[in-house]
Amino acid sequence: MTQITDNFRYWILIMPALAIMIIFYIYPVLGIWQISVTEPEAGFGNYVRMVDSSAVRTSFLITFRVAAITTVGCLILGYIVAYTIANFASRLTPLMLALVLLPFWVSVLIRSFSWIVLLGRSGLVNDTLRDMGFIDAPLRLMHNELGVLIAMIHVMLPFAILPMLANMRGISDTYVKAARGLGASEWTAFRSVYLPQTLPGVMSGVLLVFVLALGFYITPALLGGGRVLMISEYITYQIQEFLAWGLGSALSVALLIATALVLLIAARFVNLRSILLDRK
Amino acid sequence: MTDTTDFEAKQDIVEIAVERYKQGRLTRRGFLAALGALGVLPMLGDTAMAQPTEIVVVNWGGQAKDVLQEVLCDTYTEATGIPVVVDGSGPSAGKIRAMVESGAVVWDLCDSGAGSAIILEQQGITQPIDYDVVDKSKVLEGTAYNNGVGNYLYSYVLATNPKMLGGNVPQSWEDVWNVADFPGMRTFRKSVRGMLESATMAQGVPLAEVYEALGTEDGIQAAIDKFRQLRENIIVWGSGSESQNLFLQEEVAIGNIWSTRAHLLKDQMPQGTFNVSFNGGVIAPGIWVVPKDNPAGKDEVMKFIVHGQNPELQVKWLEMIGAGPINPEAAAMVPPELAPYNPSSPENLATQILYKDEWYAKNQTSAEELYVDALIN
Repeated sequence: MTQITDNFRYWILIMPALAIMIIFYIYPVLGIWQISVTEPEAGFGNYVRMVDSSAVRTSFLITFRVAAITTVGCLILGYIVAYTIANFASRLTPLMLALVLLPFWVSVLIRSFSWIVLLGRSGLVNDTLRDMGFIDAPLRLMHNELGVLIAMIHVMLPFAILPMLANMRGISDTYVKAARGLGASEWTAFRSVYLPQTLPGVMSGVLLVFVLALGFYITPALLGGGRVLMISEYITYQIQEFLAWGLGSALSVALLIATALVLLIAARFVNLRSILLDRK
Repeated sequence: MTDTTDFEAKQDIVEIAVERYKQGRLTRRGFLAALGALGVLPMLGDTAMAQPTEIVVVNWGGQAKDVLQEVLCDTYTEATGIPVVVDGSGPSAGKIRAMVESGAVVWDLCDSGAGSAIILEQQGITQPIDYDVVDKSKVLEGTAYNNGVGNYLYSYVLATNPKMLGGNVPQSWEDVWNVADFPGMRTFRKSVRGMLESATMAQGVPLAEVYEALGTEDGIQAAIDKFRQLRENIIVWGSGSESQNLFLQEEVAIGNIWSTRAHLLKDQMPQGTFNVSFNGGVIAPGIWVVPKDNPAGKDEVMKFIVHGQNPELQVKWLEMIGAGPINPEAAAMVPPELAPYNPSSPENLATQILYKDEWYAKNQTSAEELYVDALIN
């Protein structure tokens, strides 16, 4: 029997996962690419229509805006949570981690519906504020971009916290102590010693949240009131309502390319290899 | 209209089965067994072939299926002894066509729409209605086609919540666009169907000239612009149940919704919090069509259509799910407390127009994109 080379061993190990990706992901995606240039007629007509349509342009704009704001919101809130868990909550860490992970046990659909119960005109938030005398008329907390953002930040928060937390827990506190010992203020020690060390975690959190948010569908559809039309909802609209498979496919190809571009641009500023591949 | 069944998927599987049958890869028995297994032909097994006098009526499922069975079908069986079965799998034009072309027709009578009825007639898929048997005067004017005849109707109506509006209720679409006097959120459908008409009337165009106005690019643009003006006050509904929820949760004070949903809301909302006006409503009729070579034969089906024209039964239909009687005689028999919710009462008919399928066939796709753009851009 010949010796199995290391190279061959690696391939055997990843083969099942790779096969699933190729059969159930790469192949259908190629099918979508094909539909986008063949229906209703061969050529790039769908792409021309897409670029010409101001509805599509607006929808892309909304998609990127919502994704960006969601990312910033998750980054700020998530950083604080991760920082606290990593540095202060030693005894409570398991509990706090459980609280971060808990939302994963409930489907996005249910979580979005819960926000409807909370944010509605006669929802829990508005009723409470009114009963406490803060407002006279209900605030418009949903069926607009605000509602979508609140719910999306909530849904995405664990995706921001987990990579940042993993990164922060690997940071030794001796550096900050040394800086403090050398006379740096607490703020200076954080800013010039701690923060730079957390950037890889921050960047992977940001990329994860942003890319996931770009393709979000359920939450905007439920809480946007039809006016926060993100691109994935627009794709559904084309395919289900108008049977316009060609245009719907072209839109999804455009979304895929836009997402790839984001990663490419990000790669110019940060070292993606170190963020996504190397972990301490 | 209110079902969670995935019709699209089922329809697709049926079409596949029909296709197979055509290619000779499924036997006739196998074909029927396949459809039976899918629940497409409930209670209809091999006996369907042995008993040609059974009538299979097809509609879109949900509660409407049970009501149709109870109100029209069971009463017909009582009167004639002929079994009538309702199949709720959704007789889309494509499905009827696939069935007729395959030569394996199992449906006798289908609940279609005016647009589909016209297309199917042009393609030679359906049979002419025998107006010697079916009385043309017993259906709403404009709903008797060569190969299709009205069976019930519903409308796009102006629904309001007087409590939220402080008792000051919009009476017309013009009022709906008047945000200063009638503050609050409005809901419109996530599609131009039945919506552009209201935006056109809001510009003061008289009822009779609505589709004429929408016949030009400028007319469409003007209607779209109305939505652009109002959009800060708009929440859209995608499904009938969504429109119902928006009213129930007091998210909206005003809306353009289906009369069948309004029929449910009047019972669900507390006294004095729900109102319906048919002023400027758009009537959408359901149309019976008979596929070519239907198993029960044309004559049997015509007799069943005549049975369905019975005004008393149509009133029952209205009471149960809000489907408006297509027979003008029925209006007088509607209980007074229900009359305001009847889309086909003489008072309500006078203030509405008939949905124009031809317009949609020509303009819908381009108008939809403008509509989305107006709402989001």
